[in-house]
Amino acid sequence: MVLGVAFVVAWAGIGFRIVRVQGFEADKHAERGEQQRVRTEALTAPRGTIYDRDGVELAVSIDAVTVTANPSHMEDPAAAARLLAPLVGVPKSVLKERFTKPDSQFAYIARRLESAQAQEIRDMVEETEMAGVYFTSEPKRIYPAGDLASQVIGFVRDDDMAGLEGLEWKYDEALAGTPGQQIVERDPYGNPIPQGEFVVDPAQPGADIILTIDREISSAAQQILAQAVKDYNALAGTVLVMDILTGEVLAMVNAPTFDPNDRSDANPEAYRNRAVTDVYEPGSTLKVVTLAAALEEGVVTPSSILKVPGTLEVGDKEYTDVGRTKAKKMSVAEIVAKSSNVGTILIQDLLGNEKHYEYLSAFGLGQVASGDLPGEASGRLENVRDWCDTTCGPSTAIGYRVDVTPLQMASVFSAIANDGVLVEPHVVREVISADGTRQRYEPTERPVVSEETARVMRVLLQGVVESGTGSRALVDLYTVGGKTGTTEKFVPGEGYSEEDRIASFIGIAPIDEPRIVVAIVLDSPSGETEDGSDMRFGGVSAAPVFAAIAEAALHRLGVPPNVR
Amino acid sequence: MTARRLPSGDFDVEQLTPGVRRPIKLRPWLIFAGVVVVAFFGLIFSRVSLDRSGFELDDLEEQIAIEEARRGDLRVEVARLQDPNRINAIAAEIGLVYPTVRIEIEVPGLDVEGIDPEFRWAQLKAVLTAQP
Repeated sequence: MVLGVAFVVAWAGIGFRIVRVQGFEADKHAERGEQQRVRTEALTAPRGTIYDRDGVELAVSIDAVTVTANPSHMEDPAAAARLLAPLVGVPKSVLKERFTKPDSQFAYIARRLESAQAQEIRDMVEETEMAGVYFTSEPKRIYPAGDLASQVIGFVRDDDMAGLEGLEWKYDEALAGTPGQQIVERDPYGNPIPQGEFVVDPAQPGADIILTIDREISSAAQQILAQAVKDYNALAGTVLVMDILTGEVLAMVNAPTFDPNDRSDANPEAYRNRAVTDVYEPGSTLKVVTLAAALEEGVVTPSSILKVPGTLEVGDKEYTDVGRTKAKKMSVAEIVAKSSNVGTILIQDLLGNEKHYEYLSAFGLGQVASGDLPGEASGRLENVRDWCDTTCGPSTAIGYRVDVTPLQMASVFSAIANDGVLVEPHVVREVISADGTRQRYEPTERPVVSEETARVMRVLLQGVVESGTGSRALVDLYTVGGKTGTTEKFVPGEGYSEEDRIASFIGIAPIDEPRIVVAIVLDSPSGETEDGSDMRFGGVSAAPVFAAIAEAALHRLGVPPNVR
Repeated sequence: MTARRLPSGDFDVEQLTPGVRRPIKLRPWLIFAGVVVVAFFGLIFSRVSLDRSGFELDDLEEQIAIEEARRGDLRVEVARLQDPNRINAIAAEIGLVYPTVRIEIEVPGLDVEGIDPEFRWAQLKAVLTAQP
């Protein structure tokens, strides 16, 4: 009887519990179960690829493999650490410490491995039936060309792939795409439950970007520049190679440089794209604008003869020429070839400050040269209303009192090479959205001087190389022209340096049928060459760099030699 | 009398006999039960098959992800192999340098108008093959 009652009571209890769980609390338990199984997971949008002009990857995202552990699932953490350590390159003791932390349920074994390396670990885990090791996918940004044009391309933050520098930063929104999400039912081990809930809102991949950069020209430029910085004891240097017809930048390299794949030892100074962020006083290379303006305005002709004094005192300043102290009759062509400061100042005086300023502005000085490069400086061109009556005009004529970027100066020479038409320089050729929409960059164009003035200027620039200060820029089998530049380095807070110079050379090749402009700027070269020449001068240090880079670029572009 | 005799043989005699139960027909029930059992097992089988397919699909998706990752790696590897710096280093290692000796080749007839390009090409090849 008692047993019977107990039996009935027990069953009644069970029945009550069943009714309660399955009936009254059904919704609550169903919800809890759902919370455990159904997960909303973010889907990372694949970041767009950055290509060079030939469609070769310069920055690409891959699905890297991250290996994690749940130490509480591991049977023998010490043995696991011993087997995994050589495969992931982490000391055994470090892994063991991670696996044996009390109550630990998560530890990283290795992050962002390439699939081949991850496969070795998978194989080992399967072979040894090691429990508690898991593989997840994480995006990783790879720069296959290493340090090539790394300042232009930039880099991303490892954790969230956000662009931090260069084009990666500038075009971050387009490259990043739009993340999606998926709602999925998973078992306690994280495996999807077949026929469970599965709703996907796919991620929208980022846009791809095609640059105007040519890898081979950039590589040649980078190697030659690195060697030059070393040979001429310079602190830094930058090189630009531009296609004069399209305004496309074929190479934009800097020294020192860095490898965006491994920034652990990189000097942040090397992140700077000096071609657009650093300003300097261009010195004699700016005489091109002074002369072009004077020719365009008919103030002088190439054959005009001027009596050029040995020195010229204006206000409290004395202007001189290098290697000449006596007065001399000089043609305009000779003034350009010998880079005469005094002669150029006389021409500027004939031109007048107003007209001079007009042309400096028309050539784009004081304004950003390109719209697609981050951190680009606009330089400094003081309004002519603020110019003093004494030294302002003369100093500006020979490239002082004006701050420019190497890109701005390359753009000036590009206009001379392109029959007086200035084409906006740019590094992005096309942006291709995930849906295939192509957005081609259309650079602006504007005439600055006449075709005839540009042609005459090219003849004058050829004279600089063939019989003037730029003789070391001669290129075998090609006619070239260009202008040397040497300025005292301005150190903020200290004024002009006694010793340090900014040496530059900007040239056009071939000068008869121009294809490219090459600009070289070296920061503080020093020492003497074997023949005793002072390396601080652009004609000594920067001009040979031009010759080597122009030759490599012309070969690469398949430009036939025009000198026999 | 208008009553007629019922026709014989057309009716079940038992039907007309009150108080006698008809026997239960098992066949339809057996068929029904069979169908239910078959449907039950069929459902279980299809459910298991679906689950198995789900797992297989999951494995395939994992495999696709691995192969996609491998494709990405290979793509990067190709780009790395194309790196001009790497190629330059190898070229230098095996002694490939820009020629220091300049060789000029005179091709006869280059400045003559109207010569068939094929003939000119043949001449050029002959000149080139004669070079050391």
